[in-house]
Amino acid sequence: MRSARAGQIVVALAAAAVLAFAVLGDDEYTQHLLMWTALNAVLAVGLRFMLLVGETNIGTGAFYGMGAYMGAICTTKWGLPFPLALLAGGLLAIVVSTGFGLVTLRTKGPYFMLISFAFTEVVRLIYTRVEWLGGNSGIIGIFPPQALDPWMSVLTFLLCGGLILMMYLCEQSNLGRVFRAIQNNDAVVETVGIDVVQIKLVCLVIASFSVGIAGSLHAHIYNVISPGDFSYLVPVFALAYIKIGGDANVMGAVIGAAILTVLAQMLQGMGSLEHVLFGGAIVASMLVLPDGLLGGGRRLLRLFSRGRA
Amino acid sequence: MTAPLLVAQAISRRFGGILAVNDFSFEIQPGEVMGLIGPNGAGKSTTFNVISGFYKPTTGKLTFLGEDITGLSAAAISRRGLVRTFQHGSLLREMTVHDNILIGALRAVRDNSGREMRVRETAALLGLGGLLHATAGSLPHGLQRMLSIAIAFAARPKLLCLDEPLTGLNSTEAVAALEVIGRIRDEYETTILLVDHNMRVVMRICDRIAVLNYGQKLAEGTPEEIRNNPDVIRAYLGDGE
Amino acid sequence: MGLIAQLLVNMLQIGAVYVLFALGLTLVFGVMKVINFAHGQFFTLAALMIAVTMPEFTERFGFPAWVDYFVCFALALLTVAILGVVLYFVGFERYLRDLIGSFILSVGLLLLLEGVYLWIFTGAPRVVPKLLTGQVSILGGALETQRLVICGIALAATFGLYQLVNRTKLGRALRAVAEDREAAMLQGIRYRRISFYGFMIGSGMAAIAGGLIAPLTAISPSLGNDYLSKAFIIIIIGGLGSIPGAILGGFLIAAVESFAGYFLDSSYATIAMFMLVMVFLLVRPQGILGHAER
Repeated sequence: MRSARAGQIVVALAAAAVLAFAVLGDDEYTQHLLMWTALNAVLAVGLRFMLLVGETNIGTGAFYGMGAYMGAICTTKWGLPFPLALLAGGLLAIVVSTGFGLVTLRTKGPYFMLISFAFTEVVRLIYTRVEWLGGNSGIIGIFPPQALDPWMSVLTFLLCGGLILMMYLCEQSNLGRVFRAIQNNDAVVETVGIDVVQIKLVCLVIASFSVGIAGSLHAHIYNVISPGDFSYLVPVFALAYIKIGGDANVMGAVIGAAILTVLAQMLQGMGSLEHVLFGGAIVASMLVLPDGLLGGGRRLLRLFSRGRA
Repeated sequence: MTAPLLVAQAISRRFGGILAVNDFSFEIQPGEVMGLIGPNGAGKSTTFNVISGFYKPTTGKLTFLGEDITGLSAAAISRRGLVRTFQHGSLLREMTVHDNILIGALRAVRDNSGREMRVRETAALLGLGGLLHATAGSLPHGLQRMLSIAIAFAARPKLLCLDEPLTGLNSTEAVAALEVIGRIRDEYETTILLVDHNMRVVMRICDRIAVLNYGQKLAEGTPEEIRNNPDVIRAYLGDGE
Repeated sequence: MGLIAQLLVNMLQIGAVYVLFALGLTLVFGVMKVINFAHGQFFTLAALMIAVTMPEFTERFGFPAWVDYFVCFALALLTVAILGVVLYFVGFERYLRDLIGSFILSVGLLLLLEGVYLWIFTGAPRVVPKLLTGQVSILGGALETQRLVICGIALAATFGLYQLVNRTKLGRALRAVAEDREAAMLQGIRYRRISFYGFMIGSGMAAIAGGLIAPLTAISPSLGNDYLSKAFIIIIIGGLGSIPGAILGGFLIAAVESFAGYFLDSSYATIAMFMLVMVFLLVRPQGILGHAER
């Protein structure tokens, strides 16, 4: 049954991709919009992955940034092949998140939230101070191989879909059950012999790996990165995607990412209004639709069917 | 006589200036049901937390199955076969009964079909057989209590520590629970350490009882001896019951 | 000698502002179990209000600058209080004791308010005219008089708030709720009312900090964001919800920043502080003065 549902998701994603390309055509702007959506979806699902164990990991922004910087260095400074640059982003995120998790995961709840926030901001500060990383202006000219150009959006879709699928399958497995058990009551999990900190570390590392690879992709899609791209706002926006879409399952995060990415593009260049509308959307959804669009839709359906019955 | 399962040697636990448990020594023999009683604030819960690894003892030594477990983490102690429940029933409220018990069996059983069997067997034993797909938080109180025992027992511990398993149960439920505890001991050869307020219950089911008062051991012995111990009567049975 | 005195006054003045900011944040957390990411927006609003209204006042009435400053300060506090009441009753009241829900809400407010400020006040940095001119010499070092005065006010405000929390009936209620909500409610403390007071006092502290920083720095709508990350580090060091912890942490980070920051870039001070936090965590996951979660 479980694999059947995973199959459904793959089919749904593939169908969505085909549909998106078919309907929206293949002009460059649309393709970029789709790629940004895919990246944001990985961020949202990655952030949600750690919410499964009950922790808000604002460090997601730092790991995304590390992936991006690592990918950029591999391509522009070391001249490594593109697949290696992608992998290196993920690997760096694994290494750093392991160290970060070993020190910080003994804390939980508000402490972990604040520490991961400070981590993201400090890592960003470090980029601005290191000349080799381009300081405040960052790194430019990060291009994937030219031969890949026509395939970049498909590749991004497949890769991001794969990462999301990986996290989805983890969530559906016994590991995912342990995640949710920790969120419910970590003391109970501890009493049956499961090392809670170790499991949280596994969770952090898987999420960071996914986000790290997405970061490296980000660098190659945007071609330019700078420290300001990887502030605490990255996970904050990801959280907004989850909230808008609904946090009950992976699809909510993906749908939320799609809606807000398109919205953000429409607002781009509107200056302060962009902040107002984005912030306003988050606040409004918290006040009006606490379960997100999917949850709200489900509630509406239930009301409707009750009315008919 | 066989070697004791758990030996606590002069364990103490201090919180700031308060000595919650003071120089407490006891042994648990394999196959017995040992009771731990005492007035509120006597240090029963702290003792539980110390032996299960949730608190480190300030001083003293714990030996389980001949191995020094002092200072090990709760998870590590649990993996060695000492599993506890919590006073206020400890559940994974938003998960199904099935998944609750499965979490208990996860470390103890290695293959999925074995786990499923373990879940079904444990659920049936604790009267939860027909409720595998119910959400834990929606169960009535008595069944929630049974489920918290089921989670712990799904790991098939050698020593099962029950922290007030009968609190809040009505008399029918309490009788059923006692019967289950008896089966866990007899059919699965599980040693049990039990804390409870209800003296009658403790007297009925326990082979041996230790009495704590102000963090110190007041008496230890068979229910008969405890019942007739003048110190115990003065400190504990005198008021209330 | 002169340099040391200068750095010391500098440290006290920056420290007192950090302490006020962080105290508010930690008080709100203690009472509501909410980390208010929009806390900096109160701080920014107060500073912006002073920066906008003070030149108007000076032009119209021609009082001495320090009179204008205090009048505008009062006006700024009033504005912040109104904003606080609105945010509390429209939003935060629904997310009391909900860490993740309140996080999302407050982050939404952070973006929304920053956008609104940008819209109303524009992004151009503003400067508040000097309150007092002239210099004082202490221990052989020349210090700006206004810096000294502001430092004095900030320390007095910190002390006053400390007294409020420690000595008054309201303060006792706030601490009781922060420590154990249920026990406090059993003693007849009305949680919802106390949490509202806690939120207003906490937000007021941020506003006072913002008003005090106004004459000393260029003010832009994103001013509060730098203070927010520093306040987080302060609170992690001091222990969440701990008032003595916030005071100690605030002065510690100010000391590192003014002494290390004099010789190095101040962002290195922030990085150094974070490293310090990581070391603290290795040794004491609950902060220097915090209590272990049980």
